[in-house]
Amino acid sequence: MKFVISHLSKHFEKKEVLKDIDFTFESGKIYGLLGRNGAGKTTLFNCLNRDIKMDSGSFYLEENGQRREVSAEDIGYVLSTPTVPEFLTGREFLKFFLDINEKVISHTKSIDEYFDDMSIDLEDRDKLLKDYSHGMKNKMQMLINMIAQPNILLLDEPLTSLDVVVAEEMKQLLRSLKSGRITIFSTHIMDLALDLCDEIVLLNHGELEVVDKSNLDNQEFKEKIIAALREEVHE
Amino acid sequence: MNKTLQISFSLKNTYRVNSILYSLKQIPLIKKLLPQALYKVRGLKIFANILSVIWEVVSAFLGKFLYLIIMVIGIGALYETVPKNQLFLHIIVFLTIIGAFTNTYMFNPTRDKYYAMVLMRMNAKEYTLINYGYSILKVIIGFLPFTILLGLNQGIPLWQCILIPFFIAGLKITLASTSLYHYEKTGEVNNENKLQKFAWIGLILLLAAAYGLPAVGFVLPNIVVLVVMIISILTGIITARKIICFSNYREMYQIILAQSMDQVDQAKKVVREQSYKTISTDTGITSQRKGFEYLNELFIKRHQKILWKSSRRIAVICLCILLGMLLGFYLVPEMKQRTNEVLMTFLPYFVFIMYAINRGTGFTRALFMNCDHSLLTYSFYKQPKFVLKLFQIRLREIVKINLLPAMIIGIGLAILLYVSGGTDNPLNYGILIVSILCMSMFFSVHYLTIYYLLQPYNISTEIKSGTYQLVLSVTYLVCFFMMQLKLPIFLFGLMAIAFCVVYCIIACILIYRFAPKTFRLRT
Repeated sequence: MKFVISHLSKHFEKKEVLKDIDFTFESGKIYGLLGRNGAGKTTLFNCLNRDIKMDSGSFYLEENGQRREVSAEDIGYVLSTPTVPEFLTGREFLKFFLDINEKVISHTKSIDEYFDDMSIDLEDRDKLLKDYSHGMKNKMQMLINMIAQPNILLLDEPLTSLDVVVAEEMKQLLRSLKSGRITIFSTHIMDLALDLCDEIVLLNHGELEVVDKSNLDNQEFKEKIIAALREEVHE
Repeated sequence: MNKTLQISFSLKNTYRVNSILYSLKQIPLIKKLLPQALYKVRGLKIFANILSVIWEVVSAFLGKFLYLIIMVIGIGALYETVPKNQLFLHIIVFLTIIGAFTNTYMFNPTRDKYYAMVLMRMNAKEYTLINYGYSILKVIIGFLPFTILLGLNQGIPLWQCILIPFFIAGLKITLASTSLYHYEKTGEVNNENKLQKFAWIGLILLLAAAYGLPAVGFVLPNIVVLVVMIISILTGIITARKIICFSNYREMYQIILAQSMDQVDQAKKVVREQSYKTISTDTGITSQRKGFEYLNELFIKRHQKILWKSSRRIAVICLCILLGMLLGFYLVPEMKQRTNEVLMTFLPYFVFIMYAINRGTGFTRALFMNCDHSLLTYSFYKQPKFVLKLFQIRLREIVKINLLPAMIIGIGLAILLYVSGGTDNPLNYGILIVSILCMSMFFSVHYLTIYYLLQPYNISTEIKSGTYQLVLSVTYLVCFFMMQLKLPIFLFGLMAIAFCVVYCIIACILIYRFAPKTFRLRT
């Protein structure tokens, strides 16, 4: 399966944020999306998640040479600040989600088994989500996106505000989830990107480009990335 | 000194000019015409500057004029038994005392103070003295023309009219210096936006004195007023020294501003927490349903406080008013005919009442804050069939919630009409009930529709749609205008029913057509 973005552009007033992006993502890989502040990473994600209209272009999935439109259930979007419906308990949220997706979800486990997978404590499962800590909300959000098994998983700075233990658990989880889907992971932390991602993609001057690691060691690779991001456009 | 004056004015002005430009940018249509680099276009800046100066002048004069005309003369006109001139002074004295501790300038934590003293580290003492002096000057100059104009009109001698603004300023200064003194002694700061309990009690007592005493025929004798005024002016002059000599403005404002600016910066958090508070923590709440009905039932049950409870409360109040009216008819039969006349043409008025008691805005707000705000970030939730399914469920719920008080009002009105003497056209009873129910339905549909079509909030729960606010304001204005309208029940009732039905049909068509696209988080 491939995820193809074709001629996507988006501007806000006069500022062109995304310029005619053409890119193909392949399944089974985690892509680390790096870009400077304001480069348009979140805008790109919002376009892909159809939260904002793009000016032009399209994106689609390609399976066995067949193109098909990306539907809402193909995409999972995990935001940096986790958002969960505050008036439900963890268990209720999960039940609601399983209920309405019962036709789509193939392998059903019990609710408690799902909680066990995420190592969410027994006593927390029946608390209102508004009383969950940041890390726990994040786990909940991740759990939902994991069960849905979306073909494309977008992660916007998901690990930055987690404590080291949870962050490590999440990393393991993402690695275990990567086969069969496309994971795009935006971050500002270079070491995290290098550690977790199979490909590094830069969003620079409104365009996506892969940084080829070839036979560079980590330090050289980092320097190459920094240099690429720092580079000004000469016209 | 001169430099401080200049800087603090231009700072305040810049802040205001940018606010004006920002609000222009929020208006649909105009927003498209404005350039992107809005804040550096010279012409626009000049325009906003002119507005800002006009605002400064208007706020100095118009506010005072309105205050006197409404709070003093307007309310004063209700009392017929006490002499006009004494009443005028009586109310002014008590309201001035209230103003002296609730409207101080000195203890009002405003953003421009925060910017100037905390962020830009201006000399706190100079900044305060200059701005305080200016605010006191504005009090005197702003009040003077109107106390003379209105005072003479109320039969007060010119010299006393002239004294009033100085009395107001004097009392403000006296209380401000007392607060400074209090701060030096105890370290406690008065923040005028966070009055202590005893200040609230004082405020209520003073209000009662201002408006209650004249009702029982008592007003302050002129000699007392004079003494109070002269003492205030004198103490003002004497204690002004304290304000000038006080040297701890910086640390005092650190405290005042920290209390409040924290809030400004955490305003979102506060809003957040307030909406969380509406969630019931009762662990007994469960639901046996499935899917969206499950979600909805839990939502409604956990938001009892703002939904069913408040709708029941309104229903009970309406019921009490109805019974009260019936009792009134029994005790004072003369009321009947007048009530009957009023009822026959007063239906438009109920548009506003139905508007006022509708739970729709609270419902959509809670829906967003506690539910959609998070769920809309999940793609499964945004699938068109789910959006529409949930819309149906929610519409059903909010209509039900609003229908309870509407039933009481509709049936109540019909009973009142019947008891007060009836009508020659029996259809009127039916129209009365149905039109009230329709109005209630209309508002339920209306709020939910604009919420689904315009979804005005972004992820950090700020309202981002000018159109949404415009629609809300227009709704208010139309309802307000309806209060002025007097039309027979038959005519207006039928029109209202027809309008509501047509509106609901159109709204639902629009929802089915557009909501799956428009029901998104704003960015």
